[in-house]
Amino acid sequence: MTNALLRFALPAVAATLISGAAAADSGTKVALVPGGPHPYFAAWEQAGKDAVKDFGLGAADYRVPQKWELATQSQLLESLLSQGYNSFLIFPGDAVGTTPVVQEIVDNGGQALALAGCLKDPTPALFCMGTDVGRSAYLGTKELIKAMGGKGRIAHFTGFLVDPNTQLRIDAVQKAADETNGAVKVVQVIADIDAPQPAEEKINAYLAAHGSEVDGIVTTAWVPAVTAANALRKIGDKRIKMVGIDHDQVVLQAIKDGFVNGTMLQNPYGQGYVGSYVLDKLRSGCTLKADAPWKSNALTKKFVDSGTVFVDASEVDTYVDAMRGITKTLKADFDKDFLSCK
Amino acid sequence: MMAAAAETPEAAATGGPTSIQKLLFSNEFGLVVLVLLAFLVFGGMLPGYTSPFSLFAMGRQIGIDTMIGLAMMAVIVTGGLDLSVGAIGVSSAMAFGWLVEHQGLPLALAIPGALVFGGLLGAINGYAVVRSGVHSFIITLASMSIFFGVMIFLTKAEAFRGLPPEVAAFGRLRLATGTSVLLAVSLATCIALSVFYRFTILGRRMLAAGANARAAEVSGVRTGRVFVACHALTGALAAAAGLMLTARTGAAVPSMAGQLGQDWLLPAFLAPVLGGTLLSGGRVAVVGTLLGAAFVNVITSGLLQLRIGEFWIQACLGLMLLAAVLADRGRHLILRRRGLI
Amino acid sequence: MGNRFTRAFDNDWIGPALVSLIAVVVISIFQPSFLSSFNILVLLSAIAVNMLIALGQLVIIAVGQMNLALGSIGGLVAISFAAMMELWHLPAPVAVLGGLAIGVAAGAASGFVIARTGISAFIITLAGLQIFKGINLGITEAQPFYGIPQVVKDFGNLAMAGPIPWLVLPMVLAALGMWALFNRLRIGRFILAIGGNRNAAELSGIDLNATVIWAHALSGLLAAIAGMMLVARLQIGHPAIGEDWLISSFAAPVIGGAVLSGGHVSVAGTFFGVVIIAIITQALVLFAIDPFVVQIVLGGLILWAVGINRLREVRVARARA
Repeated sequence: MTNALLRFALPAVAATLISGAAAADSGTKVALVPGGPHPYFAAWEQAGKDAVKDFGLGAADYRVPQKWELATQSQLLESLLSQGYNSFLIFPGDAVGTTPVVQEIVDNGGQALALAGCLKDPTPALFCMGTDVGRSAYLGTKELIKAMGGKGRIAHFTGFLVDPNTQLRIDAVQKAADETNGAVKVVQVIADIDAPQPAEEKINAYLAAHGSEVDGIVTTAWVPAVTAANALRKIGDKRIKMVGIDHDQVVLQAIKDGFVNGTMLQNPYGQGYVGSYVLDKLRSGCTLKADAPWKSNALTKKFVDSGTVFVDASEVDTYVDAMRGITKTLKADFDKDFLSCK
Repeated sequence: MMAAAAETPEAAATGGPTSIQKLLFSNEFGLVVLVLLAFLVFGGMLPGYTSPFSLFAMGRQIGIDTMIGLAMMAVIVTGGLDLSVGAIGVSSAMAFGWLVEHQGLPLALAIPGALVFGGLLGAINGYAVVRSGVHSFIITLASMSIFFGVMIFLTKAEAFRGLPPEVAAFGRLRLATGTSVLLAVSLATCIALSVFYRFTILGRRMLAAGANARAAEVSGVRTGRVFVACHALTGALAAAAGLMLTARTGAAVPSMAGQLGQDWLLPAFLAPVLGGTLLSGGRVAVVGTLLGAAFVNVITSGLLQLRIGEFWIQACLGLMLLAAVLADRGRHLILRRRGLI
Repeated sequence: MGNRFTRAFDNDWIGPALVSLIAVVVISIFQPSFLSSFNILVLLSAIAVNMLIALGQLVIIAVGQMNLALGSIGGLVAISFAAMMELWHLPAPVAVLGGLAIGVAAGAASGFVIARTGISAFIITLAGLQIFKGINLGITEAQPFYGIPQVVKDFGNLAMAGPIPWLVLPMVLAALGMWALFNRLRIGRFILAIGGNRNAAELSGIDLNATVIWAHALSGLLAAIAGMMLVARLQIGHPAIGEDWLISSFAAPVIGGAVLSGGHVSVAGTFFGVVIIAIITQALVLFAIDPFVVQIVLGGLILWAVGINRLREVRVARARA
């Protein structure tokens, strides 16, 4: 009983002391909050730790809502606000539904960025930084079409329907196919399979039924990419071309072994790292330039592309360097074009 | 306010427990003590816990959870369950979104419209249960799938995001004391329901039918109709909870209650059971439900801020439910042995 | 005259078996690849896992209760199984035993609390659901365990012979075991007796507490097997395993003729219930039907099955009167 008390009391006392100390040196306390548990965001944790070390932040903590549910994320954000965090990097649980809690953060003196997924304008978030998912899906599909020899039928496996990025990806893949003037068709889109069991069932069922009629697969979500790579390996198929997404070791190994043609890398590490950096700068007196080169996407007019790159068998072993390179460029771009500091 | 139930003959015979004793031993009083205790402990440990924002957010969540709990309470009265409260809540909220965004209805019409819609879905459940004689568990297990599936199919899982700004503003509204208006709405609903179950004929018939359906039938109560009314009430209250969540979010989102609406199951049961509503039916504890929701949220907020790890909160909630039912069972045994109930 | 025809359906499993057959025939007319070797492999894998899940619920339905914690026990065992192999480097057979032990312990704990306190199984297993899911989340922090040994992955994905996957083996053993339980073993008859008429069972000397605990321990065991089969098939120990077991764990037994108040179950009927659900789920993907239609169809199936069971009950009562 006393043990439990001590275990609870000590951290609580420490927290009180630390938060008191934080108030004293008014450090930037960043919270990196994804929409729910998902392997994509794992890199944010390390990015936050490195940002604390490199930029002297008060804190940059990766806090995950227990499940992919808007109310759970909102409750966590409110709790973090009460705990003294003042800078937020948020993957919106919903493109509109997360805005009220962001408004509450701003009303209480905090600041927030949408990271890896955007909030719909108008929004009190400062801006949105993420993969231009439309562009990434578009480029990935183009690479797939190239590998397919310019004609054939494509199946598209993608993520949660509640993810604001999913519709952008569906549209982008369709656009790339439409540009072939009928030579390439998207014959099926299977969405809402960014979790292992439904992905397994649906992808296997699809390949079993229509595997012989399809020539290429493009996956624009992490779990379907892994599952499809495994499925192609299981049936020993190298005829169907595939372009995946992200850097799961299963996908990378499949690229090396020839089952998958390549993958579109995103930059979760860079997002977390540079995002923390920017928020800290903004808190210490810098401002965003009025004439900064913002991009637009379907949701917002203040968008910054965190970078994407296609990696095939020849580049698979050096992908980490590729991502580091993109991150360095991103930070330099921010210093030059977006931030104005006295 | 005491739970509305008949006094036992033994109590009356031995002169019965005094009013003060009844108050002190009641479930509600125990809960008040627990809530205050937890609040003081967490407030002492965590600086941010008692900040105005933290209290506001907590109060708002208590308001929402109370309404969800009241929805389930209304059907527990019948001795049955309704697993589809989440599905009804989401469907009604989406209906609201559709009425406002696509039909251009003003809020004053769309809100009652959504409540009626929820009541209708509940009535469908009730009718199916009464006519088939099958346990409400399986009927509502099926209806949860059907309601949710039809809703998703019709809306293509897309949220209604173009609601008028008054909706989100209502979710952020603070009353003079700094409490959330949603909490006030739930409080008002609690008062209304207490009056309903104590003083109106239909309310008393619901209790009678739930306590002993055969006896009620014999004394002229149309239990079939009464049970349908209970389910309809559940549906309407679930719709109200869905609307409250929509106000808090500012959008009608199909995933607001999780897959098939099953995320509402724990708060829906935890609040009434903690509050003293008996699963066997015939007895409601309306204010107890509010206190139960308060207790759960006070603890959850505290654990979240304590950085115990948000991942252990679920396990804690489960343990709380277990402890609550065990404690209630123990309390009943002790009090019965002492002839106090 | 209509009686002889309908009386043939008084047997639990004939109806669902016929429906399965018709479904297979109809679907393969429209999609010949339905009967391809690979597709049968996929279908049998799904049926194998879902049959274990259905059996886990079946034993609790038999005793007249419901087990809401089935999925969360399965999930907890799944991640523990994966963790034992990845973190502690235990060989697969040892990890399997460990997983089974956890499942039995979790089930027995539920059963113990239900038996001794007399509180409804619904509430106790609802609490259990939260507790086991909470422990699962606390251990995994929602991230899966990856280090699954090749032998386990092969068991979950390769075929024994032709299109028949290895996964079918545990299913056949479990189904035979359960059939033997209800038709040959004493404990099975006790379970059915309690489900049928609790008071009569108690008066005839059956130890209610011990039997209920046994039933829940068995349910936990079956959930554990299902969880580990899924880890083998998915090739990772994912914390979300078990989250969607609730509906199908009830749907299959109900379609198979189980009566929810207890006392009457059919293993063969449950099997065909599982088959129907698996076929329908697959068909919806094959024909590219809106995935959300699955939910509606499952709910409708449950109502239809319950309705038929109820009609039979009423007819039997009327015949007796």
